[in-house]
Amino acid sequence: MTKVFRSLNALIMRVLAFIFLSPVILMILTSLKPEPEVLNPASAIPHHWTLSNFKQVLGWSEEAPFARWLLNSVFISTSATLLVLLFSSMAAYAIVRLRVPGGNVFLAVIVATMMLPAQLFLVPLYLMLSRLHWLDTPAALIVPVTAGGFGVFMLSQFMRSVPEAIEEAALMDGCSSLGVFQHVVLPLCAPAIATLGIFTFIGSWNDFMGPLIFMDSVRNYTLPVGIALYQTSYYTEYGLTLATSALATAPLIVVFMLFQRQIVDSMASTGLKD
Amino acid sequence: MTYTKKRSVYAFLFLAPYALSFLTFIVVPVCVALGLAFMQYDLTARESTKFVGFRNFSEALHDAYFWAGLKATLSYLILMVPGLLVAAFGMALGLNAMSRGRNTVRALLFLPGMFNVAVTAILWQWFYNGEFGLFNFVLKKIGLGALPWLSDRAYAMPSIVVMSLWWAIGGTTVVLLAALQQIPRQIVEAACLDGATTGALFSKITLPLMRPVLLFVVVANTIGAFQVFGQPYLLTRGGPELSTRGLVQYIYETAFNNYRMGYGAAMSWLLFAIIALFAFVQYQFLRTSVS
Repeated sequence: MTKVFRSLNALIMRVLAFIFLSPVILMILTSLKPEPEVLNPASAIPHHWTLSNFKQVLGWSEEAPFARWLLNSVFISTSATLLVLLFSSMAAYAIVRLRVPGGNVFLAVIVATMMLPAQLFLVPLYLMLSRLHWLDTPAALIVPVTAGGFGVFMLSQFMRSVPEAIEEAALMDGCSSLGVFQHVVLPLCAPAIATLGIFTFIGSWNDFMGPLIFMDSVRNYTLPVGIALYQTSYYTEYGLTLATSALATAPLIVVFMLFQRQIVDSMASTGLKD
Repeated sequence: MTYTKKRSVYAFLFLAPYALSFLTFIVVPVCVALGLAFMQYDLTARESTKFVGFRNFSEALHDAYFWAGLKATLSYLILMVPGLLVAAFGMALGLNAMSRGRNTVRALLFLPGMFNVAVTAILWQWFYNGEFGLFNFVLKKIGLGALPWLSDRAYAMPSIVVMSLWWAIGGTTVVLLAALQQIPRQIVEAACLDGATTGALFSKITLPLMRPVLLFVVVANTIGAFQVFGQPYLLTRGGPELSTRGLVQYIYETAFNNYRMGYGAAMSWLLFAIIALFAFVQYQFLRTSVS
């Protein structure tokens, strides 16, 4: 390939990347503008920088308790992630290392159920959660998530590739199964566990259908449903809705910047598995 | 206790929490969904709950809204899957040819995928709005007329797809790029020494070697496209004139606005059958066709 082609390609790719990023930049810049400037944008950069949109969003209001939604989202996503990590790593350890009878058949069943589309579960889950009196409580968005098969599948695959000799040595030295799990297996599987944790957190944070269906009162909403509702009532006040969007996205952008390499690389490899 | 016995007790204890959750939130709901599909079960009229055999399924097949929903879902799919495939493959090829700055560009393309669907829709509603939208503001500024981005049948679905492409392209690009980078260098160099043109290189080496990944991308995105809900629900609420109301939104409204749980469950199974059929056909077709 010629040099000209290469630099032309690099230029095009950089322009494309900028175009992809521009909505995000516009969102942040516009959320810092006063309302008249939002509707009649003379330039992308604000003439008068203002934090009034953010102040109004974060100020407590009964119809749109943004801080409460943020808290709900943080609590639900963190709890769901921790439980998924715990349950999945224990199950994978039982199947791969402790060789629980029928473990591999169970794993095959788990993988098969991963193909069932999420919308199939909506109606039965709603009815079950209503029986359990879990509707409109965080439990409805935390506990069912732990049943997902992806974590068990992924961690089993990873554990199989870790040499067993270290665990055997620890067992010889009188370490219990629980001790081996805690002090040997979990640290060795740290990269896979981190990946699973990031994916579970993002999935839970961005879940839209779950809270839309299972949550009733406005104060129990998570961010995505809360801001979607907010947007329908303030739909022409773009400064405000864009400020909510920027705030809702900020935690994820931080997670993404910190773990960018890991997120993108593990995304790439999940597609290459089979 | 002997060592093996103790180990299997431990094994069951370790498996128990997940197994219990799996049983409760996967196995039981699937059984409930199966049972409901053959029942009339309306939350507003529980006393009339009864077994109705295949009536829910035959109702769906005669329901004009069901077919309209399928049509809307398919029109999303037909624009989205090929669009995503071509655009992401192009981006992946471009990224693969970059020598410096590849990872930064890759991360920037991936970033929109981190946004949740509500934020994505808010952002694009601001772009698309007929009166106050950014796109029409720019169009008017440069002397062109405003476009009915979301309010006209002909524009609404393509507008939804454009937003979805922006949102989803990073993930697919990253998968395809990883596959491109796994093509052994020696094969490409040998072909170049033999005087292969860029076109021949692409059709004789890159495409065949990428086949398994392309198959994965097409099938996975088709399955995803069949389940589209958030983007049209938030951008257009399914309008104008229900032209963008997909099947999942119709199922959602049937079950949770009209409280017809049995009918909703039956339509979920029909959608599942359609998805499974498509995935199977694509898999068979793509597995054999490229070679």
